[in-house]
Amino acid sequence: MPLLKVPFRKQNEIGVCFRKEFVKGEDRESHNKDVVSYGISQKTWKDGKSGLPATRTLTRTRKEQERHLQANNKEFNEKFEYANNAIKTSKYNFFTFLPLNLFEQFQRIANAYFLFLLFLQFIPQIASLAWYTTVIPLALVLSMTGVKDAIDDMFRHKSDNQVNNRPVLVLVNGMVKEEKWMNIKVGDIIKLQNNSSVTADVLLLSSSEPCSLTYIETAELDGETNLKVKQALTVTSNLEDNLEKLTTFKGEVRCDPPNNRLDEFTGILIHEDEKYALNNENILLRGCTIRNTDWCYGLVVYAGHDSKLMQNSGKTVFKRTSIDHLMNILVFWIFLFLVGMCFILAVGHGIWQTQKGYYFQIYLPWEEGIDSVGVATFLTFWSYIIILNTVVPISLYVSVEIIRLGNSFYINWDRKMFCIPNNTPAQARTTTLNEELGQIQYVFSDKTGTLTQNIMIFNKCSINGRSYGDVYNMTGQKIEITEETEKVDFSYNKLADPKFSFYDNTLVEAVKKGDTMVHLFFLSLSLCHTVMSEEKVEGELVYQAQSPDEEALVTAARNFGFVFHSRTSETITVVELGIIKVYKLLAILDFDNVRKRMSVIVQTPEGKVVMFCKGADTIIWELLHSSCTPLQDVTMEHLDEFAGEGLRTLAVAFRELDEKVFQSWSRKHHEASTSLEDREEMLGLVYEEIEKDMMLIGATAIEDKLQDGVPETIATLIKANINMWVLTGDKQETAVNIGYSCNMLHDDMDEVFVIEAKSSSMVQQELRSARSKMKPGSLLRTDPVTALLAQSETEAFIMPEEVANGSYGLVIDGHSLAHALEENVELELLRTACMCKSVICCRVTPLQKAQVVELVRKYKPVVTLAIGDGANDVSMIKAAHIGVGISGQEGMQAMLASDFSFAQFRFLQRLLFVHGRWSYIRMCKFLRYFFYKNFTFTLVHFWYGFFSGFSAQTVYDEWFIALYNLTYTSLPVLAMSLFDQDVNDLWSLRFPELYEPGQYNLYFNKKEFVKSILHGIYSSFVLFFVTYGSTYNSVQSNGKNISDYQSFALIVQTSLLVLVTVQVGLETAYWTTVNQFFIWGSLTLYFSLMFLLYSDGLYLLLPHTFRFMGTARNTLILPQVWLTILLTVALCVLPVILYRFLRMEFWPTKVEKVLNKIRECMKNPVPPPTKTRLRRTSSRRSAYAFAHQSGFGALITSGKNVKSRAPFGFGDNYSSHK
Amino acid sequence: MKMKNNSQGLPSRMPDNTAFRQQRLPAWSPYLTAWAVLPGFFTTGAFFLSMGILLILSAKSVKEIEITYTDICSDCSKLRENASNFYKECTCSVPFFIPEKMPNVENCAPFQRASNEIPIAPCGAIANSMFNDTILLSYYPNSTTRINVPLLSSEITWWTDKHVKFQNPESRNLSSAFAGTAKPLYWTKPVYQLDQENPENNGFLNNDFIVWMRVAALPTFKNLYRRIHRIGHFADGLPAGDYSFDISYNFPVTIFKGKKGVVLSTVTWSGGKSFFLGGAYTVTGAMTWLAAFSMTAIHLKLKKTISFQSLKLAKVKAKVERDKRRDVFRTSNTWVRTTGRDCRD
Repeated sequence: MPLLKVPFRKQNEIGVCFRKEFVKGEDRESHNKDVVSYGISQKTWKDGKSGLPATRTLTRTRKEQERHLQANNKEFNEKFEYANNAIKTSKYNFFTFLPLNLFEQFQRIANAYFLFLLFLQFIPQIASLAWYTTVIPLALVLSMTGVKDAIDDMFRHKSDNQVNNRPVLVLVNGMVKEEKWMNIKVGDIIKLQNNSSVTADVLLLSSSEPCSLTYIETAELDGETNLKVKQALTVTSNLEDNLEKLTTFKGEVRCDPPNNRLDEFTGILIHEDEKYALNNENILLRGCTIRNTDWCYGLVVYAGHDSKLMQNSGKTVFKRTSIDHLMNILVFWIFLFLVGMCFILAVGHGIWQTQKGYYFQIYLPWEEGIDSVGVATFLTFWSYIIILNTVVPISLYVSVEIIRLGNSFYINWDRKMFCIPNNTPAQARTTTLNEELGQIQYVFSDKTGTLTQNIMIFNKCSINGRSYGDVYNMTGQKIEITEETEKVDFSYNKLADPKFSFYDNTLVEAVKKGDTMVHLFFLSLSLCHTVMSEEKVEGELVYQAQSPDEEALVTAARNFGFVFHSRTSETITVVELGIIKVYKLLAILDFDNVRKRMSVIVQTPEGKVVMFCKGADTIIWELLHSSCTPLQDVTMEHLDEFAGEGLRTLAVAFRELDEKVFQSWSRKHHEASTSLEDREEMLGLVYEEIEKDMMLIGATAIEDKLQDGVPETIATLIKANINMWVLTGDKQETAVNIGYSCNMLHDDMDEVFVIEAKSSSMVQQELRSARSKMKPGSLLRTDPVTALLAQSETEAFIMPEEVANGSYGLVIDGHSLAHALEENVELELLRTACMCKSVICCRVTPLQKAQVVELVRKYKPVVTLAIGDGANDVSMIKAAHIGVGISGQEGMQAMLASDFSFAQFRFLQRLLFVHGRWSYIRMCKFLRYFFYKNFTFTLVHFWYGFFSGFSAQTVYDEWFIALYNLTYTSLPVLAMSLFDQDVNDLWSLRFPELYEPGQYNLYFNKKEFVKSILHGIYSSFVLFFVTYGSTYNSVQSNGKNISDYQSFALIVQTSLLVLVTVQVGLETAYWTTVNQFFIWGSLTLYFSLMFLLYSDGLYLLLPHTFRFMGTARNTLILPQVWLTILLTVALCVLPVILYRFLRMEFWPTKVEKVLNKIRECMKNPVPPPTKTRLRRTSSRRSAYAFAHQSGFGALITSGKNVKSRAPFGFGDNYSSHK
Repeated sequence: MKMKNNSQGLPSRMPDNTAFRQQRLPAWSPYLTAWAVLPGFFTTGAFFLSMGILLILSAKSVKEIEITYTDICSDCSKLRENASNFYKECTCSVPFFIPEKMPNVENCAPFQRASNEIPIAPCGAIANSMFNDTILLSYYPNSTTRINVPLLSSEITWWTDKHVKFQNPESRNLSSAFAGTAKPLYWTKPVYQLDQENPENNGFLNNDFIVWMRVAALPTFKNLYRRIHRIGHFADGLPAGDYSFDISYNFPVTIFKGKKGVVLSTVTWSGGKSFFLGGAYTVTGAMTWLAAFSMTAIHLKLKKTISFQSLKLAKVKAKVERDKRRDVFRTSNTWVRTTGRDCRD
C-alpha cells in the first residue's frame, strides 16, 4: 500500500496545540452533566443551521481541530473528553424541567408581554385591573404548554433510552463482552456481526471476508439499497479475530474533527511508528448495516453526537406556518392599534381633567403623585394599556396549539391512511403545521420508493417473434390480469422463487417442449448479468443485484428453469432444467450509460464460445446481423405494444464466436484493459469490435411497479391546481417513463421540453426557447413579468404567476440543473418550470433536490410539500414547508426528518384534501372568530371611556375579565375548530377544487382580519350603546335604580357573552353533540358562575374581591335587561346573516357554488360520474433500465478473489495497496 | 380491535374505528338557505315590531314630571359654591302643577382619615359626596291649604344591599358604636344621625346612604329618593292640582358645572318613561321586515335561473337512472364511494 504523503510538520503542530486545549478541559469533568446538555439543546434550539454538532463546544474553549485517539488506551482518549456514544435529544430532566421550561416560555414574546402587564398591574397608580385577571390566564397557559413540553420530552427520553440501550459486543481486557451502545467510547474496539447496525463511526480493522472486505448497506444514510464495500488496511486486517492481537493493538489515529460530510474522511493511522493513510474506504458509519459479512472489528473514531449520522440529522429546522407569520404581523398591527387607542383615550382623559375633573376635585381629588393634567394623562395611558390588553389574548396562542394538536391526532387516527400490509398508521410528527397542509401549491416528489414500489416485475417477453405474457380466455379475448387470475405453476422447479408470478402458461409449455430459442432466451438472461447469488439455506437462493431490473430478469430465468446458481471470477454455474452446467466466463463487457448494453462472453460446457448481449432496443438494432430483419420487425411491434403499457423493455441477442476471432479479440481486450491512458475509451472501442452481427432472440418487458393509486392521486392533485414536480436520482428515461405511467406527462400535452445542455448559457438558451413556445412574447421587453424582472432586485423578489398557452411538461437532467441553479439562470428556470404542468428533474443529487425546493420557496409566495422515502430526500424534506416521509421500512431517515409520514403515496390526497383542508378551514374560522370575539370584548371599554371621564374604569366585573377568554368562550370555539367540517371527507376528495381557497389564502388574510375587526368594532358599539340607551334615564318597574355601575356591567357582559355564543353557533357548520354540549354548557356555566361569584357567601368571605354581590339576582330578573340583551344580539347577528345571504345570492365564490352543488347532490342523491379508469395513452418507448453506476463487472472478472466459500467476491481494485 | 394480530404476528397498530377518531361524529349541519333565513327574518321582524310598540305604549302610559332645580334655586347654588358656606341652611321652594291624576306608582383614600387622623365612617369619596338635599312634597288642594305628601324611604334599596352588604357595627346604640370615628368631610351630620325621625334608618343602614352607595355607571343618573305613601288623599296616587317641592339645598353642583333635579314619576312593567327600548325595537323590527322583503324579492328574481339549473339537474338524474339500470354494478360501486357510507370498515 502506498503511503500517503502527509505534511507531518503541520499535523504535529496541530496536535500540540490542541493537546493543550484538552488538558484545560480536564478539570471541567465535575460539570453537572445536565447543565452541559442543557447548553447543547439551547444551542441547537437557537442556532438553526449548525444543528446538533455544536454539542461540546460549550465545555471547551475552542473547537476541536483534529481528532487524536489511540486504540485500547482509555486514559489517553479520556484526556480529550470526546463525546461518548450516548445520544441525548431530550431537553429536560426532572429537576431542570421547571426553571428551563419557564425560561423558554417567557422567551416567547406573548408570554413576556403578559409578564410585563402583570408588573404594570402592581403599580398602584396605574393598576386598573386586579392582578388575578392576568395571573389566572397566564398560569393556565404556562401550565398547559408546560405539560405538552413535558410529554414531548418524555417521548424523547424514551426513544433515547431505546437507542442507548441497544447491545453491542466490545473488546474489554482481551474478552468480547456485551455492552450497551451508550457505554461505547472513542478508542474502543467493537465487534460487529452480520445484519447488525453499526454502533458508531468506526475504523474497520478486520473482517471475516478475504482482504478484510466488509459489505454494508447504507439505506439509512443515503437511501441506496445496493451493497457497498469497505475494506480494512492490510496492516490491521492481519489482526483478524485474534483477540490477543486486537487487545495489544495500539494504533493511533489522527483525523478530521467531527463533521457532517458522509463521503469524506481523511486521517492517518500510526502503528508501530509507521504512518498509513486512512480514507472513506476504511470507515463504517453509524447507521449502516453489515451485510454478507460474518463479523468485523472496528475502532471507534466518532461516537454519539460526533458521528456523521448524528451530525447530519440535527432536528433543527423550526418550521412555522404562513398563518404563524401572518399572525405575527397582525399581532404587531394590533399592538399599534392598541397604543393608538390608548393614546386617544389618554388625550381624552387630559381634556376631561382640564374641563371637568379639575373642578370635580372636591368630590374626586387627584390621587397622590398626580399634580398636573399631564401626569394624569400619562398614567391613564398605561392604565388603558392594561385594560385593553385583551385585544391580544394570551389564550390565542394556546388555543392555536391545541387545535393543531387535535388535528394532528386525527391524522394519526385515520384508518383510511393506515397501511394494512405494513401495519403502519399515518403519523403527524410535527404537530404545528396542520393548516399549512391545506395550502399546498407545489408538491416535490421523489420517484423510487415513493411513486414506484422499487419492485421490478418480469411481465412480458417476446421470443423469436412470439409475444408471451398476456392471458386470453376461451374466445380469444385478452383478459385483464387481477389478483384472481390463475398464476403459472412453477412447482416442478424446486429452485423457483415462490414470490415470482407469471400468468401466461404458453411460455412454460414452450420451455417444457424444448423450444431452442426460448431456451436460449432464458439462458442468456441467466448468464448475462452481474448479479451475485448467495445460498444461505440449501436450495434457497438469494440474489444481490445492483439494479432491481437485473434481479427481475435473473429471477424470471430462474423460475423458468434456468437457474443462475453461483459465480466465481471465472465461471458461472447454472442449473439448466435441473442439470448443473458450468460456463466459463471469458469476459464481461460491462454496462455504461453511453453503451446502454452489456454483454458476456462465455464458453459453454460443450466448448463453444458465445456472446450474450442485452440492451436498449435502439442500440441493439444497430448491431444485429442483417438476417434478423424480419424478426426485428415483429419484435419491434411487440416492443411498441409493451412500451404502450408503460413497461421497460430490453432487447436480447447473442452471437456465436469463432475461437480464433475471440482469441485475437481477447488479446486486444487485455491490452486495452491494462493500458494506463484512456482505458475507458479504448475498452469501448474494443467492445464495439465484437458486439456486432448479433442474432436477435427477443425482448423482455419489465414493469416498474407503481405504488397503489399513484396515477389517480396525481390526477387529483393536478385537478386541485397543485404543481407536481418529480425530483429523482434516476435516469432520464426511467423518470420520463414513470412520468407517463403516472399521468404526469401524457400524449395530449402540447410538448414536453427536455433540457439537456452542457453550459449555463446553453441551458438558459433552451429554457428561453421553451418559454417562448409556451408564451410567445414573454422574451420581449414589453412582457410585464420580464419588465418587472429587469427592474427589481433579485433578493426578496416575488415571481408573479404566469400562464402558458397550453399544457406543457419539462424534463431537466441533473447536469443542466446544476447550471440552471446558478444565480443568473435560476429565475429563468423558475419562470419556465412554473409555466409547465409538470416538471421532472432526473439524476439530481440530494443537495439539488433541496436547492430546487428552495428556489421555488424563495421567489414564489407558495406553500411547498416534499415527499420522499429515502435518506437522499431528507434535504428536500427539510427544505420544503412540509416534509412528508414514506414510512414502512423501519428506521428510515426520510421518515425521521419528516413532518408527516405514512406508508403509501396515495394517502397524500387524503392528507391534503381532507385533513389539510379541514385544518385550514378550522384554523381560519377560529382566528376570524377569535379576533372578533376579543375586539368586541375589549372595545366596549373604549366607548365607556367617553362616559367615565376616560378614567380607565372597566366596564365589566374583574372576574368576568379574568374568566372570559379561558372559561366562558374558549370551549365552544375549540369544539368548532376541532370538529367543524363543511362537507365530509369523501366529497372533499371528490371535488379537489374545494382545495383552492387554501392555496390562495382566501379564508384568513389581512382583508378577512380587517373584516373581523370592523365587525368587532360594530358589535362593541352596539353592545355599549344599546345598554346605555336602555339604562339611561330609566328605572326598574318598582322605581329602583337600574343604571348603577354593577347592573350596567352585568347587562353588558351578559349581552356580550350571549352574543359571542350565538356568533360561534352561526360559524359552526357541523353541530356534534360536543358542540352542543360546549355551547350550552358555556352559557350555563356563565350564569351559574355569575350567581356564585355574586353570592352572599363569597361576599361575606372576601368583601373586597367579590363586590358585585347581589347584582345577578337583582338585575337578571328585570324584563328590560333581557330585552336589552335580545336587542343587542339581534342588532349584531341579523346584519351578519343578511350579509351572508346576499353574498350567497349575488356573489357566490367558486367554492360556494361547488358546495351548493354538493348540498344539492346530498339532498337528491345523484351519483357523480363514474370514475373513468385512467388509461395510459403513451406511445413512448422506454429504454434500457439499469442502475446508474456501471455494474460489478470489473470486480467479477478481475478475479484475484480466491475465497472458496464466498458466494461472490470482488476484485483487487479495492485492494490495490497490496 | 386494537390487539388483533395481523399476518406478521405483530399486534395491529390500526387506529380504532370510532366515530370520534374517524371524524364521523353524527352532526347537524345547518345551512343558511332561503327557506330558513326568510321566515326567520319575518318572524324576528314581527316580534320586534310588536315588542317595540308594546314598549312604547307602556312607556307612554308613564306620567312623569321632571324639574331641574339647579337654576331655579340659583341663590342657593351660589351659596354652595363657596365651601365656607356649607353649613348655612338654604331652602328653596319649587311650585309645580300636576295636570291630571297620577295613578300608583372601598378603597377609601383619600377619604379614609380626617385631618386629625381619626378614621372616617363611612369612608371613601363616594360616601363623602353623598347627596344630602332634602326634598319635601306638598299638595295644595286649594290656595290656602297645604298638605305634606307622605313619603316613604323604605324599600328604595336592593334587598341584598340592605340586608347583606351593609351592616351596622354591633352595639347597644349607634352613637357609641361609631365612637372614635369622624363624620365624612362634607357631611353635616354623623352617620348615626342621618335620620332623626327613624332610629332604625341610621348608620350604614340608612336607605339614602345605601342608595347613594350603589354607584352610577354613567355621569347622568337617577336615584330613587322616596315612594309616595298611599294613605288619605293619596290613596289613589297624586290628585291633579298644585304642588310644590321644598328643597333644602345642600349638595353643590355648579362648582363642576353639574345639574340636579327632581323627577316625579309613575312606573310600569318596563320601568319609567324611557322610549329608547321601544323605539329601538320598533326600528329594528321595521328594518328586519324591510330586509326580509328585499331578500325575498331578490331570491325570487334569482330563482328563475336556479330553476333552470335544477331542470338540468333533473336531466342528469334521469340519465343516471338509465345508466343505473344498464350497469347496476358500477353505479352501486360509485354510490358507496360518494355517499360517505364507509365501505372499508
